[in-house]
Amino acid sequence: MSENVLVSVHNVTKSFSLAGTFKKKRHTAVNNVSLDILKGETLALVGESGCGKSTLARLIMRLTEPDSGEIIFDGTDITSLSGRALRPFRKRMQMVFQDPASSLDPRMKIRDIIAEPMEIWKICPDRRERAERIMELLEMVELKESALDKYPDQLSGGQRQRVGIARAISIDPELIICDESVSALDVSVQAQILNLLKRLKKKLGLSCLFISHDLSVVDFIADRVCVMLNGEICETAEPDILFTKPQHEYTRYLISSIPEIKAFINGGKNEYHQ
Amino acid sequence: MKDRLLEIRDLTVSLKKKNSSIPIVKGIDMIIKRGEIAGLVGESGCGKSMTARSLMRIQPPSAIVDGSILWYEADGTSTDLTKLKEKELRKMCGPQIGMVFQEPMTSLNPMIRIGDQVAEALLIHKMAGSRREARDKVIRILKEVGIRDPELRYRSYPHELSGGMRQRVVIAMAMICEPKLLIADEPTTALDVTTEAQILKLIRQMCTTRNMSALVITHNMGVVSQLCDRVYVMYTGRILERAPVGEIFSKPLHPYTKGLLSSIPRIGSNPEYLTTIPGSIPETDQKTSGCEFCLRCSEDERRCFFEMPEETGYAEEHYVRCFAAQHRMEAENE
Ligand SMILES: Nc1ncnc2c1ncn2[C@@H]1O[C@H](COP(=O)(O)OP(=O)(O)OP(=O)(O)O)[C@@H](O)[C@H]1O
Ligand SMILES: Nc1ncnc2c1ncn2[C@@H]1O[C@H](COP(=O)(O)OP(=O)(O)OP(=O)(O)O)[C@@H](O)[C@H]1O
Ligand SMILES: [Mg+2]
Ligand SMILES: [Mg+2]
Repeated sequence: MSENVLVSVHNVTKSFSLAGTFKKKRHTAVNNVSLDILKGETLALVGESGCGKSTLARLIMRLTEPDSGEIIFDGTDITSLSGRALRPFRKRMQMVFQDPASSLDPRMKIRDIIAEPMEIWKICPDRRERAERIMELLEMVELKESALDKYPDQLSGGQRQRVGIARAISIDPELIICDESVSALDVSVQAQILNLLKRLKKKLGLSCLFISHDLSVVDFIADRVCVMLNGEICETAEPDILFTKPQHEYTRYLISSIPEIKAFINGGKNEYHQ
Repeated sequence: MKDRLLEIRDLTVSLKKKNSSIPIVKGIDMIIKRGEIAGLVGESGCGKSMTARSLMRIQPPSAIVDGSILWYEADGTSTDLTKLKEKELRKMCGPQIGMVFQEPMTSLNPMIRIGDQVAEALLIHKMAGSRREARDKVIRILKEVGIRDPELRYRSYPHELSGGMRQRVVIAMAMICEPKLLIADEPTTALDVTTEAQILKLIRQMCTTRNMSALVITHNMGVVSQLCDRVYVMYTGRILERAPVGEIFSKPLHPYTKGLLSSIPRIGSNPEYLTTIPGSIPETDQKTSGCEFCLRCSEDERRCFFEMPEETGYAEEHYVRCFAAQHRMEAENE
């Protein structure tokens, strides 16, 4: 296998049983998916709501077990590793979850939430150094010092989302999975966070699996884009090519649905306005 | 006046903190007309959700809300929602006002099947004669928000759904009683563009066919341009500019609005880095008598630092709070 592949997913399948059906019908959320994430690459994952993006992310993070297939991280098959053996890999990949409200512990102060991964991995054990690092992270994600003494429910949605990002980058992982991680940010803060991710990638060679529904964001951040449909990957391409010469019918449909601001530039009204 | 549904007058929200209080929403006015969709945009943390929550009186316990929120009946009479008893206000939630919260998991009960949760509102407000009728209605609306196999999904628990599916369940919950006003806080943040388009169409349709009104909080300018009739631009708890949607995009006046518009990533533009507004939002407890945006502003004047500009009208229904914009308008008129 090539040296510059960080994560390699081979024929991974995951299904769930659907509640309340007589024969316990199963729903295949991820169906025989294979993909590679290169070192220093940002791979975007787009597709219909419910097509299996978050499930695939959780499989890579080894937060759920695949029914079949392999996940290889930097040359090691981590599919059957567990507990102690998996631990070193946990440090090397971090995920920012889709729903910040339920992924941040409501009883912990923001300071402790951000410091937790450093605590676990014994990074910056010196108190002064740790405090400095927290301030640095806070600044990176455009949060204020006053946020540190708050609890998650005392922050706005976008502020919570940024706490998740600060926490994930705190221990310099090699792979970061962002599941709709900029979705609640206004465009100017979003631009700052996207620039941050791009800088980290350039400076530290961070790899990123970037799940997003916003195709213009994807166009900016991604080196390659995977389009997912009903649990399968139907097209993979560089963004320039994907947006100008989409091959798959679904990709074309997706691109045609982007809410654009073109109407007012031509002075006209758009389809939803009568 | 007959076309009005909701009018917010000088709404302020501050948070008690030991012996001081921190202003979060600093006196905003807003009019929502019947059948119209108003959009509220602004920097993360500027007070958009707090505004929406205080309309429904679900602000955090430490918040003090002041100002009036007038609800107009079809005959032009109005009631002030801030003066209603808790019980009367709760009665309005559902049939009169439907609310979609920013994070769907916070409004779903993890222990109850999603179908039953959506049906609950119908049964509470006696809008369905029987459980069976409620069930049919729920399945219909789940289908309308694009949930496939709604009969099967009726029995799912929230954790068995994807993020976007949960978000649509919450939208279905808010819409099922056919409210006169829909307040939706970032309703499509987790939805792919095709599903998003479907939801936007549904909201639009409810507004045209049933004369529903909506207040939509969103950061997606594409959504604003496609969905909203009127836009309010908020910064640190104040409305800096408000205008019909076309004007916001074709003739933005406030430097903040302009900054927002220039930060939008666009497909095919391939910049190395995105344009941002320099600096960052001030601390909420930082007090200033001037314009809160002036430290980040490209057009600031000396007086911006100690004086807050009044709102001035530029065109019909287009207002802005900015000295520099005022001067440009004056120069234009000469
Ligand atoms: N724990 C679970 N139990 C049962 N079904 C599940 C579970 N987790 C996910 N699913 C199902 O798997 C499918 C894929 O879900 P997933 O969360 O991966 O979608 P997604 O692509 O992330 O969608 P979204 O963009 O809406 O977040 C959905 O149909 C969902 O209902
Ligand atoms: N319970 C609380 N206690 C203290 N401060 C709070 C509380 N809730 C919100 N805040 C603060 O009030 C401000 C406004 O929050 P709000 O949730 O209204 O922001 P928002 O405009 O909706 O932002 P976003 O776009 O990120 O959701 C934020 O600075 C937030 O930190
Ligand atoms: Mg998801
Ligand atoms: Mg909010």
